[in-house]
Amino acid sequence: MSDPLLEVSDLQKHYYERDSLLDTVLRRDPTAVQAVDGVSFEVREGETLGLVGESGCGKSTTGETVLRLREPTGGTVTFDGEDVADLSGDDLTAFRKRAGIVFQDPYGSLDPRMTAGEIVREPLDVHGVGTPDDREERVRDLLERVGLSADQFDRYPHEFSGGQQQRVGIARALALEPDFLVLDEPVSALDVSVQAQILNLLDDLQEEFGLTYLLIAHDLSVVRHVCDRVAVMYLGELVETGPVADIFERPQHPYTRALLESVPRPETAEADREITTLSGDVPSPRDPPSGCRFRTRCPAVIPPDDLDIDQSAFRAITDIRDHLDSGDLDADDVAAADEWRERVPDDVPPAAADALDDAFASLADNDEAAARERLRERFETVCERENPRLGDGEREAACHLVD
Amino acid sequence: MSDDLLRVRGLSTRFFTEEGQVNAVEDVSFTVRDGEVFGIVGESGSGKSVTALSLLDLVESPGRITDGEIWYRNPELADEYSGEFVDGDFVDVVRLPKRARRALRGPSFSMIFQDPMTSMDPSVTVGEQIAEAVEVQRRASANPRSTRSRTQGYGLGSLLLDSVVPTREYVSDESWARAVSLLEDVGIPDAKDRAREYPHEFSGGMLQRAMVAQALAGEPDLLVADEPTTALDVTIQAQILDLLREIQDERDTSIVLITHNLGVIARMADRIGVMYAGEVVERGTLADIFDDHVHPYTRGLVESVPDLDDPDARLDPIEGSVPSLLDAEMDDRCYFADRCPKAMEECLEDPAEFDAGDGGEHTAKCYLADREYDESRALADGHFDEEVGDGE
Repeated sequence: MSDPLLEVSDLQKHYYERDSLLDTVLRRDPTAVQAVDGVSFEVREGETLGLVGESGCGKSTTGETVLRLREPTGGTVTFDGEDVADLSGDDLTAFRKRAGIVFQDPYGSLDPRMTAGEIVREPLDVHGVGTPDDREERVRDLLERVGLSADQFDRYPHEFSGGQQQRVGIARALALEPDFLVLDEPVSALDVSVQAQILNLLDDLQEEFGLTYLLIAHDLSVVRHVCDRVAVMYLGELVETGPVADIFERPQHPYTRALLESVPRPETAEADREITTLSGDVPSPRDPPSGCRFRTRCPAVIPPDDLDIDQSAFRAITDIRDHLDSGDLDADDVAAADEWRERVPDDVPPAAADALDDAFASLADNDEAAARERLRERFETVCERENPRLGDGEREAACHLVD
Repeated sequence: MSDDLLRVRGLSTRFFTEEGQVNAVEDVSFTVRDGEVFGIVGESGSGKSVTALSLLDLVESPGRITDGEIWYRNPELADEYSGEFVDGDFVDVVRLPKRARRALRGPSFSMIFQDPMTSMDPSVTVGEQIAEAVEVQRRASANPRSTRSRTQGYGLGSLLLDSVVPTREYVSDESWARAVSLLEDVGIPDAKDRAREYPHEFSGGMLQRAMVAQALAGEPDLLVADEPTTALDVTIQAQILDLLREIQDERDTSIVLITHNLGVIARMADRIGVMYAGEVVERGTLADIFDDHVHPYTRGLVESVPDLDDPDARLDPIEGSVPSLLDAEMDDRCYFADRCPKAMEECLEDPAEFDAGDGGEHTAKCYLADREYDESRALADGHFDEEVGDGE
């Protein structure tokens, strides 16, 4: 196993809303958007680590914070033995040369007023690499290496197709001979046939220049194809890490499983494949659920030890509790309350039925607090009490089921 | 076999821009049957979205349908009109009077767009937007001569009227109730309360559900879904695909599903048309396209997708990029020939739509469907280099 080039430990990035005057007067604490909350991983020399997750899970913020394009709220990022946060002056410049980024939107990340040649030469000019003639030659080499022809050097970004624009972006990232690249959704804006060209190119470049990649992606088939190891992210936290084959063949975390199952496969048997879709949406990172952040959508929440109840009934009950807690369900709306009650199957164990009856009776008496408390006492699960931690082994899943 | 609902024959849609004529859709034919999902798959710029817009007569200037017929089965409509654009129960909607054509939007055809956030009016509540669609249908069926909806009113008069009469006045309680029940149908919890919220208060998946509800307001025979899940995450995508499947099963609605995602196509479609450079290059059942494809482009498309189960295989992409659709730059040849690994001399002439010869309705616009590949007639490498020039 090779040495880690990049080590990230307990990284946090919180965003705060601008306080209004009223907030200051009332001394209200600003609510933080916890975009990244305690993420730890390492990227080893020469490998590709895939950071996977759905939109809003914090994967791009992690990529940008690692490169110190954003200042972290907490935690440390160590690059080749040096703490990135401590770098300044010449050391920071040296770091900028060694670590680069390829962005998702190829057109948006290229200056429309510069030609392809100028775009690729800019980092060389900024860092004062070699003589002007050396730079010119290096630009030519780079653009040829990524598959553009000599007569395209003087063209502007809008004259290129999406795939060619992304090639220019890659050439620019390579200009300073970096060791490490963050690839932030490098192919998600491209058509499939072009996507494959760019993935093959990135693969070749990695081998040729001994690059280390952190690939940020939501497309699991791309991740499977390119990555050595994978880290799965959900709502600002890592939920599972491991070698790519393990993650794809033996996923342990219910979220990873659901994610893999949801990907439609391009094959004829797909039409008959059963998929258990995840219910609901991702909660807001402003107010993440207590305990395990995935529990509000999890198809495998652990019921209390002394309650023998099947998962769908338990899901219905936890949904009622979530709605009570968030204030969506209240005593005024009798019809809605009845509807929620009916979603729980009749064959739940007597202990559960009693608790539900009590709670809905309290609700009818306009005593929401009592209803909440009765349900909490009967149905509280380990998943809401404790946030499962991700160990630091080779193959980890942050889930109480795995412990 | 179920009956045909829609027969598209030789449809061409062109855009007359300042740079010249763009052949966005060229001689496209396909059939949609009752209760089936017909998938159109292709890359950006292949003309799949313009095909969708043409079906609903939503192509905007400088574009217009220049040729072709769209035969739609509707006995009532066929009774109402006579002439050469009526054939039994079928009516060619391209030749229908403008007003009648527009009246089909809603009760006959409706559309779901890619980006739910920009397709809804941010300043009107979700419930109201759906109720408005219901109201338009209700008034139209009560008085078929007046299909004017409130949103189609312009000018000073309607501006004044709008400021005096609040929006809700236009929507009757009945329509509102129907909107709420539609929202329930598409799986929105607490539909009664959520109907009063604005689009920005909905998540992407919920808003896409609301858009489906709006499209269902007129109980259409045909739902055209243009990349309905592209803007969504995979777990939400799975939910929306389930919903579309449910609608198809329960209401027997036919769906034209347009997407670039072959996985989505495989999951949903019964029959498929593959589009390239404005043409349908191959057409057939799911198995025809995925397992027995004839056209090298279809093959390239299927091979470019990374396989979840075979991670180590090197991807086999189609080299080059999509050709220009400017009429002046297009020859009369197979448009894929410059990227095709099996291009032959005959490919310099436009191929006909050949029967793939497996007994079904599988067709391909490629000489390989008609004859064996003959290496002695292969085009030399770089044959197109001069004229294409800027290919990747």
